[in-house]
This record gives sequence, structure tokens and C-alpha cells, in this order.
Amino acid sequence: MEPYVPLWVKSHYSFLEGASSPEELVEEARRLGLSSLALTDRDGVYGVVRAHVKARELGVHLVVGAQVTVGVRPDGGGISGSPRRPKGEGRPTDSDLRPLSSRIVLLAVDRAGYSNLCRLITLGRLRSPKGEGCVTWEELCDHAGGLIALWGGLSWEPEPAPLAERLREAFGDRLYALIARHRQAEERQEEARMVARARRHGLPLVAAPEVLYHTAARRPLQDVLTCIRHKVTLATAGRLTMANSEHALLSPFAFRALYEDLPEAVERTVEVATRCTFSLAELRYRYPSERLPDGVTSSQWLRRLTFEGAAERYGGRIPSEVAAQLERELALIEELDYCGYFLTMWEIVRFCRERGILCQGRGSAANSAVCYCLGITAIDPVRMDLLFERFISRERAEPPDIDLDIMHTRREEVIQYVYDKYGRSHAAMVANVIRYRPKMAVRDVGKALGLPETSLERLARLVPHHGEVTPWHMKMAGLDPQAAAHRHLLRLVEEIQDFPRHLSIHPGGFLLGHEPVHDLVPIENCTMEGRTVIQWDKEDIEELGLFKVDLLGLGALTHLDLCFRLLERHRGVELSMAAIPPEDPATYEMISKADTVGVFQLESRAQMSMLPRLGPRRFYDLVIEISIIRPGPITGGMVHPYLRRRRGEEPVDYPHESLRPVLEKTLGVPLFQEQVMKLAVVAADYSPGEADQLRRDMAAWRKAGRIGRHRERLIARMRAKGIDEEFAERVFQQIQGFGEYGFPESHAASFALISYAAAWLKCHYPAEFTCALLNAQPMGFYSPATVIEDAKRHGVEVRPVCVTASDWDCTLEPTTQIAHCDEGGWETRSPLAGRAEGGDPDPMPRDAFAVRIGLRYVKGLGRRDFEKIEGARRASPFTSVDDLVERTGLDKGVLSTLAQAGALERLTLPRREALWQTLGAKRATHPPERVLPMDEKELVTAFSELTPLETVLWDYRTQGHSARFHPLAAVRGQLRSMGLPTAAEVAAMPHGRNLRYAGLVICRQRPGTARGVTFLTLEDETGFVNVILWPDIYARHMATVKTAPLLGVSGALEVEGKIVHLIARSVWVPEVTLGEAHGPSRDFH
Amino acid sequence: MDRLACVDLPDLPMELLLARVPSWAGHPAVVIDRDKPQGEILWVNKEARRAGVLPGMRYAQGLSLVAGLRASEVPPSEIAGEVSGLLELLHGFSPYVEVSSEEPGVFWLDASGLSRLFPSLWDWAKAIHGAMAARGRRAAVVVGFRRFAVYAVAKALDGVHVLATPEEEEAALHRVELACLRLDPLLYETLARLGLRTLGDFLRLPAQGVRRRFGEAAHRLHALAAGTTHDPFVPARPEEPAACLIQLEEPEGDSVRLLFLVRRHLHRLLWQLAKREEAMRELEIRFHMDFQGPLVESGRLGAPETDPVPPSWGDLSRRRGICRTDRIRPADPTLDERLIMDLVRLRLEAVPLPAPASEMGISAFGAPAGKRQLQIFLERPRRDLSAADRALARLRAELGDEAVVRARLKEGHLPEARFAWEPLGHLRCPSPRPSARPVLVRRLYARAISLGTRPRHEPDGWIVRDLRCGPVVRMWGPYVVSGGWWRTEVHRAYYFLETLRGDILWVYYDGPRRRWFLHGQVE
Repeated sequence: MEPYVPLWVKSHYSFLEGASSPEELVEEARRLGLSSLALTDRDGVYGVVRAHVKARELGVHLVVGAQVTVGVRPDGGGISGSPRRPKGEGRPTDSDLRPLSSRIVLLAVDRAGYSNLCRLITLGRLRSPKGEGCVTWEELCDHAGGLIALWGGLSWEPEPAPLAERLREAFGDRLYALIARHRQAEERQEEARMVARARRHGLPLVAAPEVLYHTAARRPLQDVLTCIRHKVTLATAGRLTMANSEHALLSPFAFRALYEDLPEAVERTVEVATRCTFSLAELRYRYPSERLPDGVTSSQWLRRLTFEGAAERYGGRIPSEVAAQLERELALIEELDYCGYFLTMWEIVRFCRERGILCQGRGSAANSAVCYCLGITAIDPVRMDLLFERFISRERAEPPDIDLDIMHTRREEVIQYVYDKYGRSHAAMVANVIRYRPKMAVRDVGKALGLPETSLERLARLVPHHGEVTPWHMKMAGLDPQAAAHRHLLRLVEEIQDFPRHLSIHPGGFLLGHEPVHDLVPIENCTMEGRTVIQWDKEDIEELGLFKVDLLGLGALTHLDLCFRLLERHRGVELSMAAIPPEDPATYEMISKADTVGVFQLESRAQMSMLPRLGPRRFYDLVIEISIIRPGPITGGMVHPYLRRRRGEEPVDYPHESLRPVLEKTLGVPLFQEQVMKLAVVAADYSPGEADQLRRDMAAWRKAGRIGRHRERLIARMRAKGIDEEFAERVFQQIQGFGEYGFPESHAASFALISYAAAWLKCHYPAEFTCALLNAQPMGFYSPATVIEDAKRHGVEVRPVCVTASDWDCTLEPTTQIAHCDEGGWETRSPLAGRAEGGDPDPMPRDAFAVRIGLRYVKGLGRRDFEKIEGARRASPFTSVDDLVERTGLDKGVLSTLAQAGALERLTLPRREALWQTLGAKRATHPPERVLPMDEKELVTAFSELTPLETVLWDYRTQGHSARFHPLAAVRGQLRSMGLPTAAEVAAMPHGRNLRYAGLVICRQRPGTARGVTFLTLEDETGFVNVILWPDIYARHMATVKTAPLLGVSGALEVEGKIVHLIARSVWVPEVTLGEAHGPSRDFH
Repeated sequence: MDRLACVDLPDLPMELLLARVPSWAGHPAVVIDRDKPQGEILWVNKEARRAGVLPGMRYAQGLSLVAGLRASEVPPSEIAGEVSGLLELLHGFSPYVEVSSEEPGVFWLDASGLSRLFPSLWDWAKAIHGAMAARGRRAAVVVGFRRFAVYAVAKALDGVHVLATPEEEEAALHRVELACLRLDPLLYETLARLGLRTLGDFLRLPAQGVRRRFGEAAHRLHALAAGTTHDPFVPARPEEPAACLIQLEEPEGDSVRLLFLVRRHLHRLLWQLAKREEAMRELEIRFHMDFQGPLVESGRLGAPETDPVPPSWGDLSRRRGICRTDRIRPADPTLDERLIMDLVRLRLEAVPLPAPASEMGISAFGAPAGKRQLQIFLERPRRDLSAADRALARLRAELGDEAVVRARLKEGHLPEARFAWEPLGHLRCPSPRPSARPVLVRRLYARAISLGTRPRHEPDGWIVRDLRCGPVVRMWGPYVVSGGWWRTEVHRAYYFLETLRGDILWVYYDGPRRRWFLHGQVE
């Protein structure tokens, strides 16, 4: 016999209220011998997918429901006395509902009930501010179909006379009186009232205490969560926190003891649960249909578009192997009914093309020839021999995942297009649950404990972004880890990790549905205007096999787009991704020298140290380069074997001849996910779908250990094929490192296209490249300061910001080269020169343009300020500071910043004089009524010139970089006197040389794959020096390494070909004052 | 030429903080205005200053400069207390001492006319410095001529400095670094950007140019430094009560006669206050007692000493200290002579003098009085709430301040945490709200009565109170109240018990202490 069923259970997805995860609740229910459990979070179904998965795994029956907040309008609500609104009449839009303390717990009996629940929650959520929801009694009754209502809770509000009758009418025998007991004295009266009401209206009683955690041990955390929610401390919370810890899941014995006088109410919990037969497995999802030409099915329409695209891609003659691949893919797409999804992506891409928005598909979609022919992706999978099954497989029966990269500055246009096309009810963005991490946990928990906020702030800045908060952190923050309050803090911070705090939006995931999305999952408001979001996140969507359209922003595409526009405007060269000359030796030469600052995917420290080793010479090398610097290949031990084989230091052999076709292009070493899958197919007779399952299991091996079931099969079958067991074991170890930590080849190839385009532009048009990169910020690996310094080292003239010449964005200005060109002809010819006969060859030299820094880089200067400047100078050039002040009306702060930035140097010198003038200018004075007339002569004050270091300092303070000097160039004399070399000199030193070097830290990294080794990149005016710190050195100097912007390193040089590393023996802070003259570093990302 | 000295105790609030939290010594630390990351930094210690943390910054800003920056508030009362103590100390060196109203720890002293007391100004300044050191305070003492100049130089220098001539003072003033002065951070930053580091540099700017750019405050600073304007030296004036001293020809122990004596002088004192537009907020009566006469039993005037045990040294010293001070505080500042006398009478009757008084000092302390308060002299008694207030004041005078309290409801789970007693200052008209809920009357015991560990197992049943109540016949519960895990864990399981006689008792089982307690009774 069923003991009982907990029917009112809130998980931690009742944000800042529940103190256990859905999984913990299901597991505890199972442990207590309960075969059913309801999950009823507050105004939401955020946790039901996770609970469903866990319940399915443990064989627990999950009842899906929610606790719904009901409110009344100031006039008393819509039930008493007022006539019922006819169905279909517009919903009330009032947002001033007053929530009642009455509790309504709704449980889904069937699919229709679940839809009603989602609709009702959506209704309440969309009218309320973010994080809240409230519905009226009338709305509740309108959505009663297929739902059981448990009515009760603490309520002293007067009951509108017809309410019970109305609820009874709406819910019929599915309305129960909820008897909640938590051993509080106040409950007795309320319960008596409830029982009387139930008797009066013939409502059956059901026992359902409110469950907020799976065990009473979570009570302290629940108290803290309550305090966080109400913004109070434990000492001041009063009765906001619960009176006792009677909100845990109870054992059947304890539950019956609690309700020993109401055994029928206990029996009824089982009755209620038995009536609720709905399961999330019943959800059927249909992808929205596209509008199609008359009489054409979506399958036919997709076929037509695909072959039209193929004809375009292949110049009218579709190769037979391509046609065969297309046929195969289209058949599978049709069989699995995915046509609509492809057509949607095609529509979005078409929209982007029409609007001139640069976009490109990434990920496994590039394995699809259909995607390539539809223009969604840019990689030809047939030519590259990519595995389609990595994208879609019959066995997997999961929707394909097409990620579309869109230039980040215009992504919002595409998002709003999707909303407009499908409507708000059929399209909503996927949620991203913001969870507690150490820093936020320290601040919130500490405040709840009543600890001084300043101490918490100090501690929060010391703890890592992820991981544990330890007594050591406490000590570092000057706090006693043994103090009782601090011990509570440590324990609770640990407990609260990963708890949801609030809902946010996924970067670009959309859920589209043929039926309204709010029949599947509630939709709610976001903080961001114009966005609505569903209550499930990406993992929930994947778990239920729903289609997600990912529209992701990519800064690199913005960079390329801006660069193409500059080339067209200044040189008349029309370029696009497709028109960039392929396989350019100069570009590969540059890449091989690791000269890749600003180049997408190739600019990181790790990539730059690999590039000279790998020496890319063709496009496919770039694909490998991008794939190989990933945790998968690194931990799988594939990097060095590949490099040795590539350099000819090791023979390229294959464990079995049958594996040659699979591993040939990577010299016998598996580097891509597709190769792992093909290995399984060829060597272990996996079907393509099984191979994809292997990939998925590999991705999850750390969590679930699901890889184990493949091991025996793989090794045994490889051995049976005559493959050496040792190799089979090695292959298995290698592929274990893959999963989500390795790239699919198609994804790497898509990225490599962008990388190559960026590299080509850097190689041939460095000024345009730099200018576009500066305008696309924030993006990429390096700060604008590093980008500018790199450009200067490449001979690009970077001109400082100037109020008379600078635009809002950075711009190009002709250099003196243009003036010389008429007399002497060009020294440097463009790579495109003469390429198109009679077309528009680029006759200008490479260094024809200088980059003028835009006013957007002046901190505190807004777009509106710029427009004032622009408007005034268009009328006539500025003649003086006073003229500028008079005609622009800018405020004192902006003017003084412009003066300090050196933007007024054309109007007056030195900068201090300009600052003095702007501070005293007529419109900028303070207070205005006490101003001397402008014609009154003021005593002339002589101000000193800035020193070079001050110049850099002022530039950095106002713009975050200096177009004039590198900070270390300003103190080079001092550094020389200390016997410190430049980066260029270090690069020329021999292997083994002991030296001391000092540079600005621009990057600090300690990758998980490097066994505690820390890498630093130091920069000076001549280039970079890469520093390696072994764990003991790092431990000894951690504080200095982590905080000093200018760092000195003593150590020995390790030179391997073109790779130079300084192996640190000690680090120190040079006695040179730089102040704020340094950009931000990229630390431990 | 008049001489003036400035005593500067740099970062006094900071020192108070470090005295409170000695473990912070040697670490960067700051005093902030409120315990928030956005709280303003008011004072910094030298470690923090060295790291670039300056007053005027936000704490979060300071924290970004020094990861381990400690911070706390220092209550104004703590600072005021210390300043008051320092003022008293400095009055020992000069009758005229000015306390800075803007900067705690800055004092100006009139240094003129001290040649008969101290061999030289240097010795005088050194004595001040020594006195400060003896109090555990680091100070700079600068003797000069101009109020601002000595202040600025004291800010810049440590130790003792006597500036012999105005020219020397001027030169020292010009050398003062702007960083030493408590300038507005924005002004300081702007001046630094203009390359101006010292007061001398600052004085090179045209005065009107400074006003135009930086406003009145900066212009005033410029003028003070240039000597074109002066702040007057305003020595602190101690609070002067209206007071009188009554010498009695014969020691007087009779309280009625003493009352008449007080009344005779009180009227005059109240007039003095009224002339200053003040009303009396406190009356202090200091009795000097004569123990030559017959000893009286403590507590009752005139009764013989019967205690055979000789008085202890403490008793004797207390008695021979010949002082008793009574402070009478009316409900509001008042000039109502009758009311005040009533309070004095109550006090003297409630706590009679232990010995006849030979001398009485009466001091009436005032507070600003409104027109209504001054009208009390018109003697227009009428019935109103203030009469009740006066009655309560009488109770307070007779029984002490804690005698008149009212219950205030609080939010808490434990019964004793649901209300608190608070002093009742004034009565208000009651405005009871009708309650829809039935009201239970439950008498709570001030302290729960322990029932031991095994009350339920007695052979005759559970006798909770006494045999007259009989054993427990019914019980309801448990109702659990638990919490306080962050301080002291509490876990109580409450029950209502009905005894054979019909009493309804309220008991709980205390889990951590494993005992039963009787907490109240339903009446």
C-alpha cells in the first residue's frame, strides 16, 4: 500500500525559497520509500525537467505542478458579485494585483491540464515585474481544465462569498482542501477554519505540508535564502524565516504521526497522485511550418532550395558525389521531419543577407551539405570529407543543432525579426539560470549573517570565480576562520553553490513552436526590454528533444564586416569572405611567425606558442591548429605525436590499414570528434548513430561513467580486426579526452575560415585591420592598448585622438605615402592589384593610411557629446578652446577629459594649459553667476610640460591606451640603467641565457591541462616575452604575479626554434613608477 | 605680536579604530562613513595611504587598490568623547583652546602671555607634545602667528616646531604639500594634474581664476593661504549652567527645610535660564554632608546607626567623600517651578540624605526653549496628556528611569522575542484596532520555571505545579519553535496541559537542555 505522497514540494527553483534541488528531493523521496512526489515550485515549472529525468532514472512517479500566486484587484477581485467575463474576451492587463496569502497548489492531471498550468503561469508572469507572478481567481477558474487544485494555506483574508462555489464549479471534484501542518500553534486555528470551510462546501481534505528541503539539515540554508530574498539579516528577519525546521520530506511514519487524527487526508494524497497521470514524456513538439508556395510541401521546398543553392555553389555543375550526399541528407531530414527547421535557418540567413548582416553557421551544422548549399554554413563538407552523422543521426533521434554566428553589433535585429515572424506566443528565448558562485555567495550569505559588508567585499574579491572558499581566503581577508559567524559563512557558501539565484537569458537560444510555446512551458518577462524568456534552460531543452535555434553574436564577424567596409570606402576594393584570395603564402608566413594579435582564434597565448611549431601552410593546417589547442587533444596526448610526425621525426603509421582513410589527413593521430566516430565505425563496427552516442557518452563520462560500456566493445572489436591491443587502449584513452573538450572538424573548419580571412586582412591591410578591430571592441583576447602597440610595431601610424580630426569611431587618414605616390610610384603593391582585369585593382600602398583614434575611446564622452562636436566643427573649424566651449556647450567634465586626453593639442599647448583653459571657460565655470566676463584678462599662469611618462599616464587614464608612447618606452632609460633588455633583444638571445627582464603583464593563464604551470605574457614597446612559472615559483610569488601590472622576471631562456620562453626563477616588482599607465590584462580565463 | 599654536593629532578617528582593533595595526585600514562597499572613506592609516587610498574615495575603490583593506565605522560619539578629553587636557596649557569643528584632532591654542609659566614657547609646545604622548597620542605642535599657517604646517610636519618670525612661517607654509591637507579629492586631483604640488604652487594661481574654476571653497583656501582672509580664533566656551552655592550655617538634615532652601534659589535660576531663552532640562543638586553629627542609618534620615559591624573602608571613603549628587530630569525641558519642586521632593523623600548637609550646590542646565515652554511661567495649568506625562515623570523620579515602560510588539518566533519593554517617554491617545481574531490571554512568566527531566513518569501522573492542581489530564502539542542556529541553538516543543483542577498550563520541552519548563498559564 502506498504510504503517502508529498504534494506541495518546492525545490530551489522556487528562487531563494526552496533549499534543495529537484534531484535531491526525488532521491530523498526514493530513499524514504515514497513512490510518488509532486514538484510544485512557486509560479513556475523551472525544475520539472531535472526532476523528471531523475524520477525516470529512479522509478519515481513525478506529479508536475506549481504553487500559483493569486491576487485580487483593489476592487476586491473578479469573483464576488461581478459577472463572469465571456470566454475569449481580452485578459485584464492590470499589474496592480494584490497577492493574497491563500495558497493554491495546482497539479497536472493530464496533458491539457499541463497546458493550462503553463498558460496560467504565463499570464501571471507576463503582467508582473521580472521574478514575480500573480493571477486572479477568475483566471484560475478559466484554466481549471485538467488540473487538481489544493486550496489552503494561511489566510486571514475575508473569503468572497461566491469564491468557493466558483472554484467548485470550475474544478469539480478536483478541488481539495489543503491541510498543511508544520507543528506551529497558529496553524490550529487556520486549520479549524479550513476544515469548516471544507465541510461547508463538501471539499475533501488532503494532507500536504509545505516541503522546502529534502532534509532538516538544510534549514539554516533555507533561513539564509529567505533573508536574501527579503534583504534582511538573520537577526532582523523576525518571523520572515520559518518558525522551525518542519519543512523537510517526512518518512511515512512521521507523516502519519503528524496527521494521526486525519488518516483519510493521508490516504487522499495517494488518490490525488494516482489521478495525476501526466508525464513530461507526453510532450509532443511540432516545429513551426514555414509559409510555402502554393501546393508545395516543406520537403519539396527544401529540396528545391537546396539544389538551387548547390547549383550556385558549384557553378552550375553539381558534382555527382555532392548530389548523392544531398539526396542522402534530404531523405533523412524528410524522414525525421526536420525540413521546417532547415527552412527556418534558411529564412534567417536570407534575412541577414538582405540586410547586409554578416553571419555564418558553426558547429556540427557544417557537416551538412544541405546547410552548405542553403548558405547557412561556408564549409563544403563533401570536399572536406566531413561526417554527416555528427550532425544528424537516425539512432539519436534528437533534433539537429544549428548555431548561427551573427556579427555581434547587429544580432538584436535578427532576434527581433524572429519574434516578429513567429509571434511572441510561438517564439521565446531560452533561459539561462544564474547560479550562485563563490563571490556572489560570500556577499549574499554574509549579509544575511549580518557580517560587515566591507569585510565581505574584501573576501569576495579574494575568492576565485569558481571553486571553494577556504579558511585561507578568510585569513587573507583578515578574518578569523575560527569565529563562529565565519564558520557558518564557510559552510553555507559551500552549500549554496550552484543554487539558482535568478533567471537570465541564454545568449541566443530561441525555442520556436508550431503550437504556442506557452503550452509547453511558461513564458515570462526579462529585464531587457523586448525580450521574453521561457522557464527552461538549454539543458532542459536538449533533454526533452526540443528544437532550439541559436543566434549567437560573434565579434570577429563584426570585425571583418567593418574591415570590408573600410577597404571599399578608402581603396574602392570590394571584398567578402568568399572573395578573399585563398592559400596566400604571405598570410601563412605571418601566421607561422605567430604574428597573430587580433586574429580570430589564433591570437591566444597558447595558439601563438603553437603556431611556429606547427607552421601552417594551407587552410587545412589552420583547421588542425584550431582543433589541436583544446583540452581534448592536449590531455589525450595527441599534440606531440602529431607535431613529431609533421616534422618527419616520427614515421606516420597506422595500426591497421582500414584506419588509414580515417586518420590519414591527421598523420595517423585522431584530432577531431568525427575521427573518433569514424574510428568506432571502421574499427569497431559501430553504426554512425552508435558512434555519435559514443561521442555523447564521452562528453558525459566524468559525470555518469557511461563511457565504460563502450570500452570493452571498442577494444575487443579492434583486437578482432588485428589492431594491436596497446594501440586500441591508447586510442580509447585519447578519445576519452574528447567529448565536449574537442572540436568537431566542421566547427574548426568554420572558425578557420574566419581566422584565415582575418589573418589575410592583417597581413595585407594592417591599418584597415587595426581600425576595424578597434571599432569592433570589446572583443578578442587583447586590450585595445595591445592592439595599438602591435599595429605600431607593424608600421601602422596610429594618430592620437583629436577634437578637430577624430570621428566617433576610429578612422583612416591618408599618410604621406599618398602624397609621394604621384612622383615615385608605389613601393608596395596591393595583393589585389591587377587581380581583376579592368576591374578595380587597388593602386595604393600598404601603408597608405594611418589610423586616427576615435572619440569613442575617450572615457566619459558620450555619443551625444560627439554629435555636438561634430555639428559645431562641420559649421566651421574650431579656432580655440574658448571657441570649442562656446559652440559645443559641452560640460566641464567632458571638456577637461578632452584636454587631458590631448584632444585639444591642435588648439592649445601644453595639455596642462588646455586643462586650465577648459576648467575656466565660460560655459564650464562653476558657479556660473560668479563668473568673470570672458573679456576680463586673467593673469597668465605658466604650466609645465608633461614628461613622456606623464603623457602616457594621461593617455591611459583618459583612453585606456596611448597612441603616442608605449608606457615602457617612456621609462626605457630607467630600465636600461637597471640592465634590463627589451623583448626584441630577449628574442635574439641564445638558449640557456640567464637574464632579468621587465614588462607589462597582458595575460596570465593557468590552464587546467598544464598541471599547475602558470603562463604569463609580458609586453614592452618591442614585443612580447612569454614566461613560464613552475608551480613552486608561482606559489612563492603568487600575490605579486596576480597583482603587479609591471613585473620583473629573473630566469633562464629556453629557445626551441622560433619559440622563446623565459623560465622564471623569481619574480619581482621593478622600482619604476608607472601609475595607471597600463591596460587591463587577460587573467586566468 | 600674538602667538598661536596648532595641535594636530593626525587621523585621530583612525587611531581610535586601531585602538579598538589592535590586530589591524600594520595593515592598510580606513575609517568609513557606513558599512557598505560604497561607503565613503573618511580617514586612512599610513599603510593605506602608501597604497594610494585617500579620504573621499569609496571603499570599493580603495579595495581595488589594496586587496586586504580593512574598514570600519567609528561612531561620532566616540570621537566626540576623545576630543572632549583632549580639550580638557589642553585647557591645562592655555585657557583659550579652539576645537576644530571640521576635523577631529585639530586644536588651536592661544600661546600669548605664558612666559611666566613656561621658560619659552618651545618648552610650552614640548610640554603639550609630551602630554599628548603620555595620553598615547601622536601629535604635531606648531607655534606661529596665523591660524591657517600653523594649521597647514602642523598637517605637514611631525613633532614640535616654533616658527620664530612671520617670514619663517610664510616659507614653511609655501612648502606644505597639498597632499597633507584634507582637500576635496577632486580638487586635489585636478591641482595635481596641473602640476601643482605645494601650497606655494597653489598660491601662484590667480585668486579669481581659482574661484572661477574650483568654486568658493577652493577660493577660500587660496585666500586663507595667501593671508587675504582669516578665520577668527574662537576658543571653546564651556557650557554654563545657571548655578548657585548655598552655605548652611548649621548642617541641615531635614528634607522639608532643604526643599524650601532649594525653592528659594530655584526661581532665580529659572529666570536666568529664561533670559537665555532656555528651559531647564536637568537640575543638579550637590549635597556636601557633614559626618561630624550623629550618624544616620543608610536609607533613612535621622534613624540611628545600628549596624554593629564597623563600616568598611569603602563605606567610609564614600561617606567622607561628603558628596551626593542628585539629578532631576523633567519629562520635557520646563520652567514650571512647581513641577520641578515636586520632583525634587519626591527624590529627597525616596532617597533621604544619609547625613545632614552643610552645603548645597544647585545647577540648572538649560536647553533651547520654545515659546510654549517659556509660557509655562504664566502658570496656566490644564488637563491634558502632559499632566499624565508629569505623573510619569514623578514615578521616574521616585523609582528610577526604568520604572515606566511599555510593551512593544516585535517580530520573533520565541514567545519572549515577540515583545520588548521600552521606556515610555510620552503618552499618546490609544487607538485600539478591532481584531477579527479571538484573543487568547496567556500569562507569560518572566523566566520559565524548570520542571526537571522526568515529570511525566511519576506514579500519580504528571504533577506539573503542585498537588492542588492535580495531574495533567489532557495535553495539546507539540508546537515546535526552533532556530537561532547562528548564535545559540534553540529547540522547544510547546504543549498546552490541562490539569485535573482545570488549569491550563503552557510548558515546553527544551531539546538542547533536555528539560521541561513551565512558561505560562492560560487564564
